[in-house]
Amino acid sequence: MRLDLSILVPYVGFLAQGALLTVWICALSLIGSFVLGAVVAIARTSSSKLARRLAFAYVDLFRNIPFIVQLFFFYYGLPEIGIYIDALTTGVVALSIAGGAYASDAIRAGILAIDNGILEAAEVSGLSKRVVFTHIVLPIALRTSVRPLGSVLINMVLTSSILSTITVNELTGQAKIVASDTFRPFEVYAALLIVYAALTWLVSIGIGMLHRRLNRDMQPDVR
Amino acid sequence: MRYADFTPYDLVLLLQGLGVTVGLFLATSLIGILVGTAWAIVRFYRVPVLTPAITFLAELLKNSPVLVQLFLVFFGFPAFFHLNVTPVEAATITLSANTAAFVYVIAVAAIESVGRDQIEAARVFGLTRWQVLRHIIGAQAAAFSAGPLVALMVNQLQVTSLISVIGVMDLAKIGANLNMRTLKPFIVWTVVGILYYLAAKLVATIGARVENHLRSHSAFRGL
Repeated sequence: MRLDLSILVPYVGFLAQGALLTVWICALSLIGSFVLGAVVAIARTSSSKLARRLAFAYVDLFRNIPFIVQLFFFYYGLPEIGIYIDALTTGVVALSIAGGAYASDAIRAGILAIDNGILEAAEVSGLSKRVVFTHIVLPIALRTSVRPLGSVLINMVLTSSILSTITVNELTGQAKIVASDTFRPFEVYAALLIVYAALTWLVSIGIGMLHRRLNRDMQPDVR
Repeated sequence: MRYADFTPYDLVLLLQGLGVTVGLFLATSLIGILVGTAWAIVRFYRVPVLTPAITFLAELLKNSPVLVQLFLVFFGFPAFFHLNVTPVEAATITLSANTAAFVYVIAVAAIESVGRDQIEAARVFGLTRWQVLRHIIGAQAAAFSAGPLVALMVNQLQVTSLISVIGVMDLAKIGANLNMRTLKPFIVWTVVGILYYLAAKLVATIGARVENHLRSHSAFRGL
């Protein structure tokens, strides 16, 4: 009944390895879901009805099915159709696809928030549609959606713990090993809870700084 | 007959799993909403000691993976407090606490959305503290929080899938069992995914109805 955190000391390095893998997974998945989210957000705001429908179906589907079901679908399903990739890659792919659905909503909101006057001014200046999009719409949309994208990232850090169920030994996976090694699950998982909270807290501080940096020439934050 | 084939009984199993998922979802949502609202009321009355403790607990629950919370309750509590915790009990405790943390945030925002002047006016009219809470704050806060609450519920329905990891026979666990027996991951996980999707849509539809009902007092009635 005594809380003895000192039993964790020999395992700090082992857990740090897991934490590094978690960070690595989240970094890769962030890139993946950002690219996917941007493409889907463009499709959802495009003038083509088919593209809008397809993009909406993707977002609707992946937001309303539990991540663990999606993960198992990919992990057990892909080998059946002859695609053999390791658990880590499967996890990153699944996390990117699921995160992409949430990221696309954040980016789409950023695109829709752009003042029509800006688009009309760009059109009047004779810029082509593509240039308007890459040089005017995207820069504005992305910097206003930094905060929502940040909460997608925080969710991703928490969701990445589910990868431990498909044998990826990230932070939670390593902690499971430590818990069965030491027979002290309470200490291990309580410490893990704090570590995850600290991790997401650091991410949210980073996002806040990035947001202020990118929006430094805008009007002061309403706060 | 080979045991690897699908049998009509599998449908019964799937429905049973869906029942467990929906049952636990409803029970934990109800407990979570009650507890989260109680926490928000404690904060509203600025109860010393309790308020910072609740804020800290809610932050911790929001910023850590549900999987780790489940492990802490299911593996940690029996080892540390020498209790017997069944998978269903662990799932109920964890999901309720997790829902409560998110409900707390929504409820705090909803209570703050009711102007101080209204509360003062009500007190001047001689309403008791309970009447103020019930008729002035409660009614308006419920309408204010309906939208975010529905979004939370849809999310929490998906979170319930994680309890399959500690052995609760919910829809995801039935899916895992069928997957192991039939080795047809594509069919199994697609069906499980569709069932989750339909359940989520049902929650969203019912939620939208309730929201409309709660907001009907402020809806535009036409000229």
